[in-house]
Amino acid sequence: MAAVRAGEFAALQSLLKAPSRDAVRQLCRECFASPPAGLGPLAQRACPGLAAGPEEAEQLVSALHHLTRHVVYRGLTRAEEILCLFPESFHQNLKNLLTKIILENISAWRTEAQASQISLPRLVDMDWRVDIKTSSDSINRMAVPTCLLQLKIQEDVALCGNSPVVSALTVELSKETLDTMLEGLGRIRDQLSAVANK
Amino acid sequence: MGLLNFTRDPVPEAVSGDMHNLNQLSAQQFSALTEVLFRFLTEPKEVERFLTQLSDFATMNKISLGPLKNIVKSILLVPNGALKRNLSSEQVRADFIALGLSEEKASYFAEQWKVNSPTLTRLAVGQTLMINQLIDMEWKFGVTAGSSELEKVGSIFLQLKLVVKKGSQMENVYMELTLPQFYSFLHEMERIKTSLESFS
Repeated sequence: MAAVRAGEFAALQSLLKAPSRDAVRQLCRECFASPPAGLGPLAQRACPGLAAGPEEAEQLVSALHHLTRHVVYRGLTRAEEILCLFPESFHQNLKNLLTKIILENISAWRTEAQASQISLPRLVDMDWRVDIKTSSDSINRMAVPTCLLQLKIQEDVALCGNSPVVSALTVELSKETLDTMLEGLGRIRDQLSAVANK
Repeated sequence: MGLLNFTRDPVPEAVSGDMHNLNQLSAQQFSALTEVLFRFLTEPKEVERFLTQLSDFATMNKISLGPLKNIVKSILLVPNGALKRNLSSEQVRADFIALGLSEEKASYFAEQWKVNSPTLTRLAVGQTLMINQLIDMEWKFGVTAGSSELEKVGSIFLQLKLVVKKGSQMENVYMELTLPQFYSFLHEMERIKTSLESFS
């Protein structure tokens, strides 16, 4: 996420026309949350009073989106770091307000960015039951315990947008398979603690 | 013929004739034939090997292969039924005697049955239907260093690949878990193990 350009800071000055601090706050949140493709409609919706025309509205929304995302990308956490981004000539009070708003939201935004990053399908839920097999076509009487495991897997959030696709996979494990699996999982746990202790 | 343990259905006519022929074999020949049979029963996929061994036996003992195969078919009726019904070795012996086999040979076969039945039972259980059986699990874990939204991340991820047998095909299922999810997954697996063990 490249640094914010001078022209974009100029566009941000339109926020001086905002009716209240809360309006600015709301706009910041919406601009961060919107994907680049959604900025056009957002500009039309959110900025009728703020900008002279549609072009100015788009520039404002785009600049705010870029600024918020840039701060999250760089992992800036202190007021001084954020204040440094603004040019000397920028309106003092607006600069302080924007920095304050960003600091309020930064950790929520960071968490959201991490949650929505690309990944393999994610495990979202897991259920299990243990059955005892008492009979089959090859043996009339037996008492073999077996486990049914249901895994709910959600496709990549980035691909699904607001309607995540969750598929359920039911798997059967014998006792031997479960033991082998636990052995593997135990090894993962040991390696994780070795890494954590370093 | 009284009630048999290994089956409720009437036994084919040819069986008593085959038992009579079996009685003509010497103890040594019967023991060799029994060995061939049990080797096949414990490794049912080795059909080629079984047929070769049968034909070697036929040649060595100057018996024609055709009648030998019929005899073997008759004999195999008993262990197959016995396996299905979890019969004891005494019951197997009693059935062979009821079919016409000599006491000596019936006792010998029943002994061999006792020795081999744990393996055979395990095989039969293994053949029992399993839905979407988990065949294999591969995993890797690592650290996410950065992304297009976050320059520095440093979070741990775990990726699992499960190989599942769906019908006759294998399907690979890929998924990712966060660290807390991994720990609760591990915890649930341990609970399942405790539960399975209490039923074994």
